[in-house]
Amino acid sequence: MIEVVGLTKKYGSNLAVDNISFSIQKGEIVGFLGPNGAGKSTTMNIITGYLSATSGSVKINGYDVLDDPIEARKCIGYLPEQPPLYLDMTVNEYLRFVYNLKKVSHKGREVHISEVCRLVGIEHVRNRIVGNLSKGYKQRVGLAQALIGDPEVLILDEPTVGLDPNQIIEIRNMIRTLGKERTIILSTHILPEVNAVCERVLMINAGKIVANDTTENITETTAAGKQYLVRVEGPQSAVLAVLNNMEGITSAKVQKEGEPGAFDYLIQTDNESDIRKTLVLALAKQEFAVLSFQAVGTSLEDVFSELTKNDKKGDA
Amino acid sequence: MLAIFKRELQAYFTGPIGYIFCAIFIFLSNLFFYFDNLQFYTSDFTHIFNLMMLYLIVLIPLMTMRLWSEEKRQRTDQLLLTAPVSTTGVVLGKFFAALAVFLISLSLTLVYPIVVAAAGTLPTAKIIGNYIAIIFAASAYIAISLFFSSLTKSQIISAILSIVALALFWLANLLFTSTSIPWIAAVMEFFSMITRYFNFFRGIFTLADVVYFLSITGIFLFLTSRVIEKQRWS
Repeated sequence: MIEVVGLTKKYGSNLAVDNISFSIQKGEIVGFLGPNGAGKSTTMNIITGYLSATSGSVKINGYDVLDDPIEARKCIGYLPEQPPLYLDMTVNEYLRFVYNLKKVSHKGREVHISEVCRLVGIEHVRNRIVGNLSKGYKQRVGLAQALIGDPEVLILDEPTVGLDPNQIIEIRNMIRTLGKERTIILSTHILPEVNAVCERVLMINAGKIVANDTTENITETTAAGKQYLVRVEGPQSAVLAVLNNMEGITSAKVQKEGEPGAFDYLIQTDNESDIRKTLVLALAKQEFAVLSFQAVGTSLEDVFSELTKNDKKGDA
Repeated sequence: MLAIFKRELQAYFTGPIGYIFCAIFIFLSNLFFYFDNLQFYTSDFTHIFNLMMLYLIVLIPLMTMRLWSEEKRQRTDQLLLTAPVSTTGVVLGKFFAALAVFLISLSLTLVYPIVVAAAGTLPTAKIIGNYIAIIFAASAYIAISLFFSSLTKSQIISAILSIVALALFWLANLLFTSTSIPWIAAVMEFFSMITRYFNFFRGIFTLADVVYFLSITGIFLFLTSRVIEKQRWS
């Protein structure tokens, strides 16, 4: 559906996107993840044909965005980082304009616009001036704009930025619903969003793809053993001595004093043996009481900082 | 192109710009019509059209300054440039919308010949010549201003650049009459708008003059779409 090969974009001498390639199948929801300035928006702008690549090619549905721009753009609905809204028009006028601009011909115009408005929940503001709407509604109107013409591919650049938590959940649900029939690329720097919405993650940092896998795989492969957070009563050094002498524990660190006289320890295991029982028994033998015990799963956050930290060191 | 045309025309008249343009244009035209034709009992429109060419140098850039600058500032160009339409189509849509606003304003001046005809004889050919000249000139003005609007995000800068550029087309005439270097004079004479439209004002149609105005319009519309396209490569 989307085929990106060797994409490079230079702004003067600044390399914004560095030779990236990936392909996205029909019906996938792909999260495009990266810190600010990683090249997410640039890549999306190139895919949609707003910018041209310095080198490399992008094919949408078999149409090259450079050689066949009109056909390629027909397949795409694009919600840029800042929704491209005309603030002086009403929602209705704006969507009619987009309908005419995109030369949509299927269904009747009013029927189609009503459908889209229902889908994104803006039916009751259709006669209002876009400029007077709240940020959340503007974002929805932007999304409606992208949906006009029922494009097969949706490209959404940080669709939940600046929204309140309820609106974020609503927009995410909307995206999940839309993703049942469409191919979606969604960019974000908010990690839980990817977990919540996407099936696959493309992680990008400093213009390069650093990870490209399903959301589950990506968290598993980078996880180097299980982590536990344990709160133990007793003197720090004695407890640490017990922990460090145990088999299966690769490291133990004091986090903080969780309660008076009790400290939290972060324990890294080698992932081969289940140490929970032996750990508790060993501590009890020394009369150190375990007050709480919790498994710390490797989250996308960890993977993300793991994969992007090298560059930060380099920058500093 | 039609979608853009409709949206721009609508924007002119849902906001104040279209009305303000019409009002100032008509106010100035009426003023000069009164002082020229009515005070001096003349049926010669050349002078008021001559003045019209002058104040349009300011009025047209003020009308067209937002056409691209505002799109860039609001980032709505992302919608236009990722829509399945050609850049040329978008540029032409905007051009014709601005031209339509001008033609609407100009149509209000059609009352002058009627007033004059009621009181005396009308130099019909000359008046038609005047109207055609002003429409050609305004097209060129709009194309030039549209081009400068595509260069910047700031409406003010766009307007200033356009006004300066349009004034230079006028100054070309001054340079051509005051320079002693023949090739500069020749070039300046070619670019001068004054020499061109004086022919129209006299009721003379030459293909060269028509081609001149159409070329200026065409060249600047072409340049505008090139500037917009070039931004993809920046």
